[in-house]
Amino acid sequence: MNAIIIYCVRDLIRWFRGKWGFISALVAPAAWLIFVGLALPVTFTDNYLAFVTPGILVMTTLSASMQGGALIIMDKILGFYNKFMALPPSRESILFGKILVTTIRGIIQSTIILVLAFLLGVPIYSPLQIIGVYLILILFGCLLSSVTTTLAISIGEHDSYAAVTAMITMPLFFTSSAMMPYSSMPEWLRIPAHINPLSIAIDSIRDVTAGLIPGQSILILVILTIFVVSINVKLFRRVKL
Amino acid sequence: MSSTLIAEDLTCNYGNLCAVDSMNIDVGNEIFGLLGPNGSGKTTTVLMFTTLLEPTKGTASVCGIDVVKYPKKVREHISYVPQDMALDVRLTGRENVRFFAELYGVSRPKEMTDEVIGVLDLAERADDYVKTYSGGMRRRLELAQALVHDPQVLFLDEPTVGLDVAARRKIWDHIRSLKKKGMTVFVTTHYMDEADRNCDRIAFIDKGRVRKCDTPASLKTIISGDIIVATIKGNFSFSNIPDIRFIGQQEDEITFLAHDGQRASELIHREVLSQGLTLHSLYVRKPTLDDVFLHLVDDNEDTRPMNMSTYRNMLGKRR
Repeated sequence: MNAIIIYCVRDLIRWFRGKWGFISALVAPAAWLIFVGLALPVTFTDNYLAFVTPGILVMTTLSASMQGGALIIMDKILGFYNKFMALPPSRESILFGKILVTTIRGIIQSTIILVLAFLLGVPIYSPLQIIGVYLILILFGCLLSSVTTTLAISIGEHDSYAAVTAMITMPLFFTSSAMMPYSSMPEWLRIPAHINPLSIAIDSIRDVTAGLIPGQSILILVILTIFVVSINVKLFRRVKL
Repeated sequence: MSSTLIAEDLTCNYGNLCAVDSMNIDVGNEIFGLLGPNGSGKTTTVLMFTTLLEPTKGTASVCGIDVVKYPKKVREHISYVPQDMALDVRLTGRENVRFFAELYGVSRPKEMTDEVIGVLDLAERADDYVKTYSGGMRRRLELAQALVHDPQVLFLDEPTVGLDVAARRKIWDHIRSLKKKGMTVFVTTHYMDEADRNCDRIAFIDKGRVRKCDTPASLKTIISGDIIVATIKGNFSFSNIPDIRFIGQQEDEITFLAHDGQRASELIHREVLSQGLTLHSLYVRKPTLDDVFLHLVDDNEDTRPMNMSTYRNMLGKRR
């Protein structure tokens, strides 16, 4: 079996067995969907839940990645690094295993959101649209989890990492197109919302659900992912024990 | 004796600090102990041999394979158990070992996992979560992980630190039986007594330099004579007693070295009483590795400029 998969399976089992981490990962996004999607008084659409679902999907991917980034720090702090580095598989497989497991965690959480959204009255996507949504989420998951592992490796300490992610997450979410369309935003918010990478992913999901193919956005995501992963690999190779 | 591990002029600097200084060792099929105080360069040496740290200078090889040129190949021949225990507490013992079996790419992971778990007496508890394991069991589980791919060389960094006496003995029993099966075991420790009992050869390391490398028995002959230990009350001032060397005072304990322990202890008894001190106990013992180590290290801690008499002393000690 491939070492990347082996490392990934290990982290998945630890996640399931950790119970509370797993439960909270499933409950928290559902709460967002229900409270934001059903409770906000909005005027620009009559099915706000359908509008906000792509935003919640992407936010879920973001929070899954933020939590996933911590995995690599914990392995280092707890001394697993030394043991893994002395094993025959290439060292990068440790890193790719983390990116993979973090992406999978995000996808599992997103699936819950999606099912819940359909149950709550969002019009069901066609199979092709679902494939498109998953493709974007996987791609965006890879991008975000390599961003967070890069962040984690360069910060190298758990408490500081948690502080940094707490600082980043909320502004990133509220300056994206998750909650409202660009036309309803105040003037000053439109430019940051347009360059926010979260918006790129959210807008492409909205395009897909509207029957369009967001080729340009996907290309941007692919290029960004390759760029960040290569930086990540470089940084990882330089990690001191 | 064919060499499994060779270090030639092996050096590692962390910035200005020289952690390992021109090390030359040659380890065959044996239990080889690297002994020294904390921070003496033991772990750094192991990290270089296990390809986790690149040497600043010099070369190291494992089974004839250079650690810098072919790190992946070296890693296929070795196992490394670091000092800090790292096990997945939410996995069972069996799962922890199986995980390593798969990472090593052993051909029959399930069978090999069961086998090493049996060898290390963990079969009964193998399906319990590791969080319920004692310290000694966890260490044995780490050994099982390391042995699952049947390595030629096993590196153990402080394998018995933090364990109780029974658990330590058990770990050493396993280490000795591995050597009997033909494995080379490279172990670091600062417990001299354990090394004395279990290692075939020992290298003393201090401040990154190997001070001496030999069998425990011949190392102990470096100090010829007896050690005399007296427990007293008060401050002892050593005035010259012929043929007796004063080693030092630690709290209430004063230690001497002499050729004839029995005669010397009588002289010391008299001397202590004549200084008006109370003598609680007095006994003679054979030198241990601790004494040898302190003897070797103390000499080298001398920072005075070299003069002729120290030079002569050094020459004298070589023989």
